[in-house]
Amino acid sequence: MLNIALPKGRLGDKVYSLLAKIGYDCSEIYADNRKLIFESVENSVRYLLVKPSDVAIYISHGAADIGIVGKDILEEDSFDLFELLDLNLGKCNMCVAAPVDFVEDLDRPLRVATKFTNIAKNYYLSLNREIEIIKLNGSIELAPLLGLSDVIVDIVETGTTLKENNLKVYEKIMPISARLIANKSSYKFKTAEIEELLAKLEKELKNND
Amino acid sequence: MKHIPDFFSKEDNLSIALPELFERWGYKKYRMSKFEEFSFYSDNRNFLSNSEIIAFNNADGRLMALKPDITLSIVKNAKLSEKLTKLYYNESVFRMSSGSRDFKEIKQCGVEVLGEIDNYLTSEIIMLAAESLAMIDENYVLSVSHNALLLSLIEEFNVTLAVKKQLISCIGGKNIHDFKRLCVNYSVPDEMTEKVCRLAGIEGKINDVLGDVKALCTSEKMLDAVAELEFVCSALSACGLSDKIHIDLSVTQHIDYYTGIVFRGYVEKAPNAVLSGGRYDRLARKIRDNIGAVGFAVYLDNLNLYYRKAAEFDADLLVICKDTENSEKLLGLLMEHTRNGLCVRVERSCPEAFRARKTAVFENGELKEAQIC
Repeated sequence: MLNIALPKGRLGDKVYSLLAKIGYDCSEIYADNRKLIFESVENSVRYLLVKPSDVAIYISHGAADIGIVGKDILEEDSFDLFELLDLNLGKCNMCVAAPVDFVEDLDRPLRVATKFTNIAKNYYLSLNREIEIIKLNGSIELAPLLGLSDVIVDIVETGTTLKENNLKVYEKIMPISARLIANKSSYKFKTAEIEELLAKLEKELKNND
Repeated sequence: MKHIPDFFSKEDNLSIALPELFERWGYKKYRMSKFEEFSFYSDNRNFLSNSEIIAFNNADGRLMALKPDITLSIVKNAKLSEKLTKLYYNESVFRMSSGSRDFKEIKQCGVEVLGEIDNYLTSEIIMLAAESLAMIDENYVLSVSHNALLLSLIEEFNVTLAVKKQLISCIGGKNIHDFKRLCVNYSVPDEMTEKVCRLAGIEGKINDVLGDVKALCTSEKMLDAVAELEFVCSALSACGLSDKIHIDLSVTQHIDYYTGIVFRGYVEKAPNAVLSGGRYDRLARKIRDNIGAVGFAVYLDNLNLYYRKAAEFDADLLVICKDTENSEKLLGLLMEHTRNGLCVRVERSCPEAFRARKTAVFENGELKEAQIC
């Protein structure tokens, strides 16, 4: 039995439909209820629906064998796990965004609002730029508009939210996409099952391209 | 091997069983102080998986550290014999826990051989690693690799040390897609990238994959590494361990310290590796003159989380003593039970949440079985 942690939401739905197509269907999941665990004995698979930012935690602690998670989560915290496949789904960029008329003052530390504090710290450390981090948990775009920060570090998908808030992409930090991850011990003891799923999924993704 | 009663926890159990295994193979116990001068660790910071160290000033004002690692201390302090020094330890280290960002005391039990290391000694160490894992759980996998295969190829890439570290970290995480992306970004020739990726993808039982590894070797250095792996694998097959030992070339250990065979052990119920080791001649030569070294450590912390006590009951016999006047007789009666291997507990009334296989009452100078709780 393979335990798969799926992120709740659009990405999870997309990945589930791919997995269902390649033989890991679990009809129970379509039932309109609030259950978080769905099992198909027939297909030897159990799905766990978890908050996207918690998928890697479930996997690294062995509560699930494999899971789908955004690269942003993997970059923000360090996890002891295997990253087996780039699904090329949920593609976006981790960016520094700033007001459209922003001019950087290199004479003082840069105030950066973000929920990705480690990514921001590492990025500016690589540039040897002194910063002051302002940790926010949502509506990050507000921070520069209210003078709380100079710039923000956040995920940018289409750029529409930025535009609507009079912001622009100032620098690109890294591309982000969904990754298939595996618990290290699970991979060692369920190698054949995980490798089979991986091969089928890779083939399906290629067919969809 | 001595029978260890099942009321001990997994960690307690292994703290007895592993030293016994190492003693049987002629290893001598090495006991050490919990402290070491801080400067020693700061000089070898890269060797430590986590660089955070608990430091304090001692009475002379010298900056000391609570040991974050055992191997470094043994290599520095052990009295070396002229031939081989074979040691084992059962000690605590103090490290930052990645989850809670707090310092944790971690119990480690392991072996180290210092001196002129040959293929036999490496095989002996890997066999001991396999036997140690079997004591934790019969369902175990020992993943073995050789640093000279993949890491020596990456060392040849014309990129900075920071990029090499990123590439090695990708290999360790089986993250081939980001490895390829980085290689493209830093203009590593496709042929070299492809060669590393093909090798990194090799994983399987020793008899199934050694041929594939050999077929991809293109240098003397790589062929020597495969010959070393072949020797070890055939020695382990002769011990009947071939099913449990896997070749996994994505297993990497720090290239600045580890030179030859490296390995990591997994047991079915623990989510991460519980054993790690390898040949670390470079570290040994950095600290002592002209010696080789090989060893491993078993991480005993957290094993109690994944392997609960086997005991179904807290005691075989719970005795409620109602006759305190004649209780000197009770002691003699119960000693007989414990000498016969039973576990007993005496109480004045039923204790809370206590699971006893049988219960008895001691009254009027007699012990009678009775349902009392």
